[in-house]
Amino acid sequence: MSDTFPLVIDGQTVQARQGETVLQAADRAGIQIPTFCNDPRLTPSGACRMCLVEVQGQRRLQPSCAWKAEPGQVVTTASERIEKHRAVLLSMYLADHSQDEAGQAADIATGNKLRAYTVDRDDLLPLAPVHSPRVGRADDNPYIAFDPDRCILCARCTRYCDEVEGVSAIQLVERGGHTTIGTAGMVGLLATSCELCGGCIATCPTGALFEKKADPAPDPDETIVRSTCNFCGVGCQVDLRVRDGRIAAVEAPPPGTTVNDGNLCVKGRFAYDFVHHDERLRSPLIRQADGSFRQATWPEALERVASGLKKIRDRDGGDALGFISSSRCTGEENYLMQKLARAAFGTNNCHQCAAT
Amino acid sequence: MERHGAQRHRVLALLKEAGGVSVASVQRIARETGVPEADVWGAGRFYELLSHPDVERRVCQGLTCQLFGAATLEGTKVSCLGQCDRAPVVLGRDLGVVHYGMPRGGVSPADPDLPMDLGGPDTADYAGLARARELGVAGVLDALAAAGLQGRGGAGFPAHLKWRSVSEQAVTERYVVCNADEGEPGTFKDREIMLRRPHRMLEGLAIAAETIGAAAIFIYIRGEFPEEKASLQRALAEADAHLGHLDWRFVDGHGAYICGEETALIESIEGRRGMPRLKPPYPTVQGLWGKPTLMNNVETLACIPDILVRGGERFAALGRTEPGTKLYCVSGHVGRPGVYELPLGVCLDEVVDAAGGYVGTPRAFSPGGASSGFLPMSARRVPLDFKGLPAHGSMLGSAGVVVLDDTVDMAQAALWQAVFFEDESCGQCAPCRLGTQLVRQSIGRYLGTGDPAHFAHLDEIAWEMDQGSICGLGMVAALPLQMARRHFPQDFGPRPPGATMTGGGPA
Ligand SMILES: Cc1cc2nc3c(=O)[nH]c(=O)nc-3n(C[C@H](O)[C@H](O)[C@H](O)COP(=O)(O)O)c2cc1C
Ligand code: SF4
Repeated sequence: MSDTFPLVIDGQTVQARQGETVLQAADRAGIQIPTFCNDPRLTPSGACRMCLVEVQGQRRLQPSCAWKAEPGQVVTTASERIEKHRAVLLSMYLADHSQDEAGQAADIATGNKLRAYTVDRDDLLPLAPVHSPRVGRADDNPYIAFDPDRCILCARCTRYCDEVEGVSAIQLVERGGHTTIGTAGMVGLLATSCELCGGCIATCPTGALFEKKADPAPDPDETIVRSTCNFCGVGCQVDLRVRDGRIAAVEAPPPGTTVNDGNLCVKGRFAYDFVHHDERLRSPLIRQADGSFRQATWPEALERVASGLKKIRDRDGGDALGFISSSRCTGEENYLMQKLARAAFGTNNCHQCAAT
Repeated sequence: MERHGAQRHRVLALLKEAGGVSVASVQRIARETGVPEADVWGAGRFYELLSHPDVERRVCQGLTCQLFGAATLEGTKVSCLGQCDRAPVVLGRDLGVVHYGMPRGGVSPADPDLPMDLGGPDTADYAGLARARELGVAGVLDALAAAGLQGRGGAGFPAHLKWRSVSEQAVTERYVVCNADEGEPGTFKDREIMLRRPHRMLEGLAIAAETIGAAAIFIYIRGEFPEEKASLQRALAEADAHLGHLDWRFVDGHGAYICGEETALIESIEGRRGMPRLKPPYPTVQGLWGKPTLMNNVETLACIPDILVRGGERFAALGRTEPGTKLYCVSGHVGRPGVYELPLGVCLDEVVDAAGGYVGTPRAFSPGGASSGFLPMSARRVPLDFKGLPAHGSMLGSAGVVVLDDTVDMAQAALWQAVFFEDESCGQCAPCRLGTQLVRQSIGRYLGTGDPAHFAHLDEIAWEMDQGSICGLGMVAALPLQMARRHFPQDFGPRPPGATMTGGGPA
């Protein structure tokens, strides 16, 4: 335990690790500090001002997401001053946000933290709408949409695109109330370096970035099914959002919980239409003498393949055969494929489609 | 993410060279510097002069220009241009003054006893630099401490503490930065120093660089000051024998008041959007490119040679309530607007006396730029200094003193200041980005309807702007309105829709 040290948060002694921020130390101790702009994968920016706390000896409130925990530090996350700060700040955010008929922040299937933080508060100020002059962008990409009226400018998306993806397709543009999320020339994402990974959607805390083809309205009957992406062998975990037995959208589990750390690629996140597609093959087909296909069972199809392969080996030798496996296979499956080639058919003619 | 070895610091200068932000210029500069296109675009679009390069007429909307009828002038509205002594002012395409209301203002009469002596001749003997070398680092720091010199950029932070802190950092790659981004409405003193005393400022910088062992000196100069930049460059060439051994770099501002804030200025030198950083760490510890950085205001630096030549004690003794003389910029309803060097801590009446007296019946004044709000004439004998004014809810700031006579509608004056802060907020933090809009909107709605109910939640919003903002801009942006409401309640009561008040009554 030599690399941990104690500090006091809300009167409770908390053990912090070297280099940890107050927000992280509090989080591990079960003390929740609200935040919009914090994403554990990103360098803290301290810009949303939601996580301000009192640090003893500091005149000003300090952002706990960026403030390093220090031995013996005394931090307060709940006080009259902090409550007032949160109430007024949230009122201001709400006055600049698209609202439903009840005057609440929009309810989004992927979650809207502003709504979560405001629905149950009775100390908010009824401010006139701000109507910040920020704008969106015409964008014909098939997957990612942006609604500036739900954007709180926490800049998680732009920082994610830069710091995690290394793509920097989007950036804060303009200044003051005009500040918005833009691209060079304000063109659609397809005309930029964007790889359509959709990580910006995942990190957006208020649903300002959202998936075009998924229904943005929440559904209380929705279930989450944890699965493994089968587009490649990395093994990214996915949470399938299932409605009526169909996939409504695919999300990555939260950062820090699975191997993919909250990230997915364009295929893992958006290429799920095949699952319910009419033309999807659901059973093997065997070609008949007249060239047409007929449905078959798996044992029948496998038997047909095995006997065909054996026939060629017996007639022309193993080297008359070649084996190609798919980049959608796992490492184990690829191993088995080369084993089959070498051990069962005695040939080194084996390849993998991603190996070129 | 930028390419390894990317030259981000060149981005803004290249955009300027290319005539501003366009799809073609951004693509080319991204290729040339290795900085992503979106970053180049986003950085460029932050700056007024880069996003709107082709403006024929820029009409100053600063408080003083507004007092003198800026609203009637044709052209694109822009934030205060630092020409308040000539109000109202219009800049042409090349950023030169093409229209002004009166000739350039006055300065204190020549007096060799004054450290700055703007009215006297500019000596370029660099005696202060020679003296600094004799004194050595410790001696220079001691002289600064004895002088009690407080930073003239607005915060009044003791110069010797800053210099000492930088010189004690373990990291030896250090920088000196001169903050010549003067943009606080009502302020034009750095302008006069750069035009009349460029050698003083350069000498101060040279002393700073040698004292802290700086690798390079950066002069970040307001983009709308081409004449001032030329004056400095001329002086630098003239004094090559004294200054040539140092690494001097001029960096242009591009039309963003917030880049006067020290960490935003550093971001801007690095080629980014001028968004202030979180502090700590302070620039003295991690500044330009993460290295210890000494940043001082033009006036602070220009005080240094005199302090070394004639001694810190002498400088300190020149002050009234606090050490030294101070340049007070005076504009508005006074006889001879201009820059006057007076003992630090004189009161409004004395400052205005130096500036030709009041014109009309004074009713309100702003002691130190837009950020200092408004005070009533009952404060006319309050010392205008760094430590005393905060007790009056104000501050000396940049000492841009604007006098308002009794024809001014204080709600209208508050609106002019609110527009400035709204236009100049960098936008990164919500208390300021949204607060400045809410403040401006509430005054606008009040003026339109005459209904004070539009100020319903302004106290809470102003409180949150002060408490929650990242930098000084947001913290003070509600002050003009709040102080005007406090001191001039007559101008904020119910009034007929669209009516103007003057002297507290209907016009
Ligand atoms: C919004 C804002 C604008 C500022 N503008 C200027 C400026 O134009 N010039 C300046 O010297 N300091 C300005 N400052 C103060 C600087 O941050 C910094 O304190 C100063 O340059 C330090 O120099 P000094 O110690 O010599 O005063 C500004 C501060 C804020 C918060
Ligand atoms: S207070 Fe205003 S200017 Fe300062 S960082 Fe926040 S938004 Fe930017």
